[in-house]
Amino acid sequence: MTRGKTEKKSTEKVADKPLLVGIDLGTSRSSISADNGKKEWVESYVGWPKDFIARKVVGKSILFGADAVAHRLSLDMYRPLKNGVIKEGTARDEEAVKELISHLVTLVNGNSDNRSIRAVVGVPAESFKVNKIALKKAVSEFAESLMVVSEPFSVAYGVEALDNAMVIDIGAGTVDFCIMHGTVPGEDDQRTVLTAGDYIDQQLYNSLKERYPAADFNLNMIRRFKEEHSFIGENGDKIEVDIPVEGKATRHDITDDLKRACESILPAIVETTIELIARFDPEYQGIIRQNIILAGGGSQIKGLPDHLKKVLGEYGPAGVQAVEDPLFSGSDGALALAKEMPDDYWTDLK
Amino acid sequence: MHAPVKKNFKDEILNKIYEDNKQLRKNSYRGASKAKQYRRNRHLVKMSTVIMLAVLLTASRFFAFPVFFTEESQLIEIKTAAAIPWSDVVMREAGEVANPVPLLIDTSRDRLLNYSMLLNDERIRVSSVFGLDVRTIVIDPGHGGRDPGAVGSLGTYEKEIVLDIGLRLRTLLAESGRYEIFMTRDSDVFISLADRVKFANDKQADLFISIHVNALPQKNYNLVETFYFGPPEDKHALLLAELENRGSEIKTGDFKRMVEKIGNTMKTQESALLAASIQQNLFANLSRDNKYIFDHGTKTAPFVVLLGVDAPSVLVEMSCISYKGEEINLQKPEYRNRITESIKEGIVSYLEDKHLHIADGESNDQRKNRKEEYRKSG
Repeated sequence: MTRGKTEKKSTEKVADKPLLVGIDLGTSRSSISADNGKKEWVESYVGWPKDFIARKVVGKSILFGADAVAHRLSLDMYRPLKNGVIKEGTARDEEAVKELISHLVTLVNGNSDNRSIRAVVGVPAESFKVNKIALKKAVSEFAESLMVVSEPFSVAYGVEALDNAMVIDIGAGTVDFCIMHGTVPGEDDQRTVLTAGDYIDQQLYNSLKERYPAADFNLNMIRRFKEEHSFIGENGDKIEVDIPVEGKATRHDITDDLKRACESILPAIVETTIELIARFDPEYQGIIRQNIILAGGGSQIKGLPDHLKKVLGEYGPAGVQAVEDPLFSGSDGALALAKEMPDDYWTDLK
Repeated sequence: MHAPVKKNFKDEILNKIYEDNKQLRKNSYRGASKAKQYRRNRHLVKMSTVIMLAVLLTASRFFAFPVFFTEESQLIEIKTAAAIPWSDVVMREAGEVANPVPLLIDTSRDRLLNYSMLLNDERIRVSSVFGLDVRTIVIDPGHGGRDPGAVGSLGTYEKEIVLDIGLRLRTLLAESGRYEIFMTRDSDVFISLADRVKFANDKQADLFISIHVNALPQKNYNLVETFYFGPPEDKHALLLAELENRGSEIKTGDFKRMVEKIGNTMKTQESALLAASIQQNLFANLSRDNKYIFDHGTKTAPFVVLLGVDAPSVLVEMSCISYKGEEINLQKPEYRNRITESIKEGIVSYLEDKHLHIADGESNDQRKNRKEEYRKSG
């Protein structure tokens, strides 16, 4: 009897306490980390059945991520964060963002409606205020309180690289750069470049289409090839993949095409890195150059840290390292922020 | 991964984030109230416009409109026109295709073939006189290779945008099957201005369209403008020409030959008409849902590439990549498609008008009748 009472009391306590979540909204993947220890990610696709027949076939009124991609022919598909921002003026995209965030929250919070949510959401570095406002609107229904930060900043916060460091977050739609110098980065400390993962996919797609006109493939397959084999510089082994030709699986050598495609994003990354560092206080430029952190899916391109280190080495000693868990580094950082944010700040932003 | 950060240091950061987000909330409310105010003002503007129009209409019943053309000025016009030997061809004033030149010409007068007068009179559309047609169009996407052109703050390169639009334009124009389309570059390669000029002339281009994206020091300003060769109309046009002409690799001897073409009336007329048509279509399309884009019209500027090409040539500065909102738009394929469609529409309207113009029989008849009446009246 006594035990039962204690249990009830503790449940009430948990229910009263808001659930803190950190969300990383990406073009390709979105992730969430919650203070109840749960972490989830989903491909940033939202799909609604095209008609009532499609609805009957898929058996749901809305689909997310891989599930949506698998049923894409029956769905109106939305990838709402193309280029890392909510596309303005498209109600369906705003709705898709709302549904995506709601889905992520449900993944970590179940269907429990009795816990209020406090969320820190990471958005691309140069995202406009209007997008932040759109996010606020999208989240307001189910989050008691929300804070928006730049994606690379949340990564930096997560790995505690808050002073004299630079974060390069290579996503699908954008590459976000952010210099940390002991405070919240301002506009001048951040850059966004749009030649990112999607750009590599397109380059590889074009290159293979030209080289193997009979091969039958789509962008999804290309993305898979990239994620499995991407590299820059020298790769010892030949990379061969199965691509159907007139219905028959055929081996294709994609080594050179993949290398060229992956290297196509390097000039913009190198140029922006050098430019941002050069703008910084000359006394600290060397320290920042030795403290470069690569995040996002693109940080996993084989040989990228070494290449950047080599190129930046021409300007002085350089240190480049990739985060350990690119999928959750953004959302983990956002969660760390949410946890350390004083309670009265949250209350004030309700 | 890094040394732990001091607590008070983190407190400052957390406080800054809180303040930023608080500000953001205020701004969103302020934004909403501004929108309301704007809607209210818009109604006021509409109402006052209606009232002003009503007042003007009423006033026009009591006061005669001023007479712009006196008999004297008409006489002067006729005298000038009479010196021109071709009365029975269709003539239109350059730059105002829709309005035929109001000339009444007496062909019984001196019919010495004054070619120089014909070829150099700005009021006669030379290409129509000789029924010149367009078969070959050269599209010239600016910059390329080591020359990125303007670079937006989000890292978008002008060279990539203009190449994409150039390729789209080639596809659209080729659809009709009426024109042979060439591109000075169809990949990311550097081509000097001298080579672009040579390419267009070697292909015997009938039209040359150079595609560029503008960049301005004023980051919050977005505009559309189209150039054809001529003296700069303002400082901005001169600076832009200087920028685009950089590294032209044109030799002094070639330049001298180019300069000799300056007096080519036909080319100037056609370039002006083409520029006007593209500008009109492009601005009409882009301004449809973008209130913050400005129409800077057609301008003349000393772009080397426009001077060197023998054919009528224009340089389209389709919008400003320095304006962040526009840069985001330019990244969208559907937006680039819209721009391409508008440029194509501009070219097609120009060409259609040209064909219509040549076959403008009714207008010729009308002129003949008027000429007879003029003779009869003594």
